[in-house]
Amino acid sequence: MSLPMTNETATTEPLVFCQPDGRRIKLTASVVAQLLRYAQHQLTDKEAGGVLIGRYLCDSDDIVVDQVTEPMPGDKRGRYFFHRAQKAHQHAIEQAWQASQGTRTYLGEWHTHPEANPTPSGVDTGDWRRKLQQDQYFERLFFVIVGTQEVRVWCGSRKQAKLISLQSHPVES
Amino acid sequence: MASVQKYFDSFHGKIRLGLFDEEDTLRDKRRIVREKLLANLPDVFKKHNEKNLVPTFRDQGSYAMRTGTRPLDGDFDIDQGVYFETSTTDYPDPVVLKERVYEALNGHTKRVEIRRPCVTVFYKDGYHVDLAIYSCAAANADKKDYLAMGKVGSEEKYRVWQESDPTTLTTKLFERFDGDETGRKQYRRAIRFMKRWKDVNFVSNGHSAPRGIGLTINANSYFQPRYNTTTFVLDDLTALHELSKEMLSAFTSTWVSTEWKFVRWLSAKLLVTPFNDVYEKMTSKQMESFETKLTELRDTLKKAIDEVDTRKACQLLRNVFGDDFEVPDESETARATPAPVSTHSQSA
Repeated sequence: MSLPMTNETATTEPLVFCQPDGRRIKLTASVVAQLLRYAQHQLTDKEAGGVLIGRYLCDSDDIVVDQVTEPMPGDKRGRYFFHRAQKAHQHAIEQAWQASQGTRTYLGEWHTHPEANPTPSGVDTGDWRRKLQQDQYFERLFFVIVGTQEVRVWCGSRKQAKLISLQSHPVES
Repeated sequence: MASVQKYFDSFHGKIRLGLFDEEDTLRDKRRIVREKLLANLPDVFKKHNEKNLVPTFRDQGSYAMRTGTRPLDGDFDIDQGVYFETSTTDYPDPVVLKERVYEALNGHTKRVEIRRPCVTVFYKDGYHVDLAIYSCAAANADKKDYLAMGKVGSEEKYRVWQESDPTTLTTKLFERFDGDETGRKQYRRAIRFMKRWKDVNFVSNGHSAPRGIGLTINANSYFQPRYNTTTFVLDDLTALHELSKEMLSAFTSTWVSTEWKFVRWLSAKLLVTPFNDVYEKMTSKQMESFETKLTELRDTLKKAIDEVDTRKACQLLRNVFGDDFEVPDESETARATPAPVSTHSQSA
């Protein structure tokens, strides 16, 4: 059962995940709202995806994802696959990077799955490993899968080819 | 936690009294008032056929404690203790001695006033010097200092010599940190942050706002230093969050006889005689608003601790501490990174 429209827009909260070294990654409320709009609730909904753009914060080394790209012309979408072309998304990355004196950068990828608690397929993890080797990025890449009930995040780096699933960060009371 | 310490540092630099011309001006006014008193008092005493008394001076208040903050309204003040070697029995009516001081200074500026706890010299540029008049310990049989309380025309019960020891108060408020200079430094900062919070969030008339000395006493009871013991880098955000939490949990249900009911109350008992609660003049409504605002402060500090984004955390802090708390540009809080390239991707 989907939530009523008003609730859905009003209650979008940012999501915070914790990396194994204690550093946090936050998806801002507007990013979360944007991603949830592509969640595959209906049988006819197709997979969607894009790139994550954001900041490595000074001192704390926490990370904020404050922008995502959405499917664009040239991308191919099916019920169970999403092929993202490079050009338009790379253009968005470069724009953000240039406009911020290099402080906003490419942080990873997101896509949707038509399942409640998403897990990456073999295709997903294979492609993530390839990107960890071939892409140019700062320190780490994050991979977000938007399920119908849960958003999950994995991360890896050039040196750390093993993909790590991140824990959702509990807010202490 | 977002790294906001840097922004607490610059906030502290902006609110502390000490780095600015204003403090020099205060020091000048204090000097001039002292000189005027020493020059004019002999004639005043002579005129009233009284023994000439030469006062000695002692700084007191936030100036002496080094917890002064820049006032928001530009109303700078300095507290000055004026000690006369005369016993309380020589001047049974303390207001008389205050009148002598008043007479010695009257005309020095447009406005000199006898107020209940002091004689105040107002300057037209917004500065004033509060002179607290004492009968000093050496002249009294019990070897105690007494403060002259009361105004011209007040009833006799309000004209009293009140035992008062601001120097010991200052010592007591700071001795907790003997041997922990970093802790003491952070304690002073926390007091300044709380005083600025008070100035920003409460109206300043009457007893609407908790007094600065009250917040200082509360900090003495409830503040715990929070800093890295290896690098000595301060964590003011956590320290303030814990201070506000502790202060809130110290509110208790207290019987207020003047209102004939129980009210939620936080006290700040003076650590020296007369050991009174310096919040005693607040009404239950004012106390209620104190608790509400303190709760807002605690919750905002907690949100700032949980906030990943430094800029967002600073925005939250500005909401409670006012515009002197800087909100940095996004690019200032993030690392510059090399040019990124994302190849195509596929998922299934």
